[in-house]
This record gives sequence, structure tokens and C-alpha cells, in this order.
Amino acid sequence: MNPRPGAASEGGPITRLLETFRPDLLRFAFWLARDRAIAEDVVQETLIRAWKSKDELKDPAAARPWLLTIARREHARLYERKRLPTVDVESIEALGDPALAVDGDAGLTDLRGAILKLPAEYREPLVMQVLGGFSTTEIAQELGLTQAAVLTRLFRARNRLRTIYGLTPDEEDT
Amino acid sequence: MSGAPTPDECRHVRLHVGADPHSLPADVQAHLATCDACRRFRDETLMLDQRVRAALELQLAQFRTPAKSAPRSRRFALAASILLGVFMAGGVWLLRTPPALAGEVVEHVLEEPDSWDARTPMSPADIGQVLDMAGVDFVGDVPVVYAAPCMFRGRHIAHLVILGPEGPKTVMLLPHASVDGRRAFSEHGLRGVLLPAGTGSIAVLARGADVPADLEKALVSAVRWR
Repeated sequence: MNPRPGAASEGGPITRLLETFRPDLLRFAFWLARDRAIAEDVVQETLIRAWKSKDELKDPAAARPWLLTIARREHARLYERKRLPTVDVESIEALGDPALAVDGDAGLTDLRGAILKLPAEYREPLVMQVLGGFSTTEIAQELGLTQAAVLTRLFRARNRLRTIYGLTPDEEDT
Repeated sequence: MSGAPTPDECRHVRLHVGADPHSLPADVQAHLATCDACRRFRDETLMLDQRVRAALELQLAQFRTPAKSAPRSRRFALAASILLGVFMAGGVWLLRTPPALAGEVVEHVLEEPDSWDARTPMSPADIGQVLDMAGVDFVGDVPVVYAAPCMFRGRHIAHLVILGPEGPKTVMLLPHASVDGRRAFSEHGLRGVLLPAGTGSIAVLARGADVPADLEKALVSAVRWR
């Protein structure tokens, strides 16, 4: 059954394609989960689920958004199935993660901390948009929200980050 | 939007700018051409967005370094929990006998009901990918109609379905779960057997039928852990 018993493990084209997105997936999952270990679990499950559904990927050029969508759903599923406790803002382990620190740019480090502290309802669409490259229409579809709701959440996410950047928040953020 | 901008127009524009500064509708762009305050808001938002993008782009090299050590108080708590965990794990380990493994195997199979429906033999290349990911060789003539890499007890395993004269059977190759000897089980309408295979084990499950003895032997001799 195994065509190459004892062969070196290199994987096939689809496996290699999926693996090239591992860094992107890990980064994306980290911002959703705010926990490195959970992010790694999400990525592992994502790659397995993607491999099982590989026939759905008709165009390799669409692999990245396809994988990120799977990752987002895996992250949501993880919380649903394992009933992981939600993390208190002040006790987010990731805030002390050395990966967040930027030498010579304390502002960027602070911004990362502020993004981690954003409520999930604001952080998730922001990460999907800025890091994932999803349009507001796609985000609305994926999160089961109206486009107006997505616009409001994205507006509020950025508005909260404005103070970190030394800007005045828009007064309409109520 | 024509004439002096109204507060409502500015609110509408800022909502769009704050939500999606790189993709603005035509009416918003027209407003920006006439409203200094909103244009300044747009420019600030674009600068902020560059920073947000940079903030989200974590460097993976740093990302993979170990997290900082826990504070002292947490280290004591951690040590205490480890000690407690060791005692508990000892007890759990004694209880984690093959029946527990069988239950986990059955639970896993029940979560992939579609796997039973496959009827077309898979290509050697596809099967090979799954075996590669699981770190196992599987040499034999049994037709594999389903092969998927799965997470089981935190490790990659190969989840196969083979098609024999008596119907489909699930075969899970478990390099990290050892059993002392052959152990038959029956749960949730599934009948199966756990077979020792070197340092690991093989789980074979069928719906409402026993696993033939000759198949058990063939499977055990087909498996080589890498």
C-alpha cells in the first residue's frame, strides 16, 4: 500500500503547498487565540482539515484565504468543543511574550499589546482584514454579521488603537 | 454630498474611513475632497493602519523562542501543580488501560462517519502522504479507500479505511499507544480489536462484525514504525 516504504518524508505537492502557509497560519491563529500553544494546535488541526478537504481547493492561488478561513473556524471550534475558558484581559499570557517586543520601537510593542487587549469581537475582524486580506463583505459572511455591523466593529477597533498611536479617538465611538 | 459637510455626513465618512481606509466608496471619496477634518482623519487612519499591519506581522524567528519564565509566585504554583499532576497521572495511567484506548478510538471513528462511505481505492501517492505524515510504513495488498492524517492523543496518526469482502473496516495506526496484548472491544455498535504492533498498536474496527483473524495478522505484519 505504501509506494515508498522507508522513503524519506518529503510529502506530496499539496502537503508542501499547505506547509508553505504554516507561518501565516501561526501568526493569524496567534492573534485570534492570544496564546502560542493554542495557536499551534489550531494550525495543526487546520492543516489536517485542509488536507482532508484538499479536493475543494480548485485554484492553488486561493490557498491562503482558504486556509485562513479554515483556521478561523478551527479556532472557533476549539473554544466550542473544548470549552476553553475565555482569557481575562489583564492575565493574557501573550502580553509577556518576547515575540511582541520590538527593539527600538516601544510604540509598536505597545500597539501589539493594545491589539491583544481588544475584545474578540473587534480583534477578530481587524486581524481578518489587515493580516488575512479579507474584504468587509467576506468578513461579514464568515462571521455571520451584516456588513454594517462589520464596519462598526472595524471602526471601533481602530478607534481604540488611535490613542495608543497618540491620536484622538473619534467621538462617535460609543 | 454637496455644499458644506454636515455632521451626519462626517459621521458616515469616518465610519467608512475607520472601518476600511483602503477601500472607500465614491461618496466618501467625494466628501474627503471637500472636508479638511475628515481628510486629516483619513490620513491619520492610513498611518495608523501601516502601524497596525507592522504590529500584526510578528517575526516568526522571535515567535518561536520560548516564552518568558513565569513569575516566582507562579513558579511555586506550577511546581505544586506538577507534583499533584504526577500523583494524579500515576493513578490515571493505571486506569488508562486498553479499554480507555478503545473508547478514544471509537470516539474518534464516530467523529468521521463519512470515512465509512468511501468505496474507491485511493492512489498510492495519496496514501503515501498520509503515512509520511504519521511516520509509518504500511506494506500490503489490502485496498485502502480512505486515508487521512489525524490528531490522536496529540500526535499525528494514520486513519485508514480498508475495503474487504465483509465491508469496510477502520484501521488506525497508533505509534504512540502500546497495548500489552490483543484486546477485543464492542462500543456504540462498533466491534473492534486493539493489536500490539512493535512499540505501538493498531486499532481495527468494523460495524456489527468481528475482525477476521487473518486480517489481524496481515495488518500487524504490514506495519513498520519509522
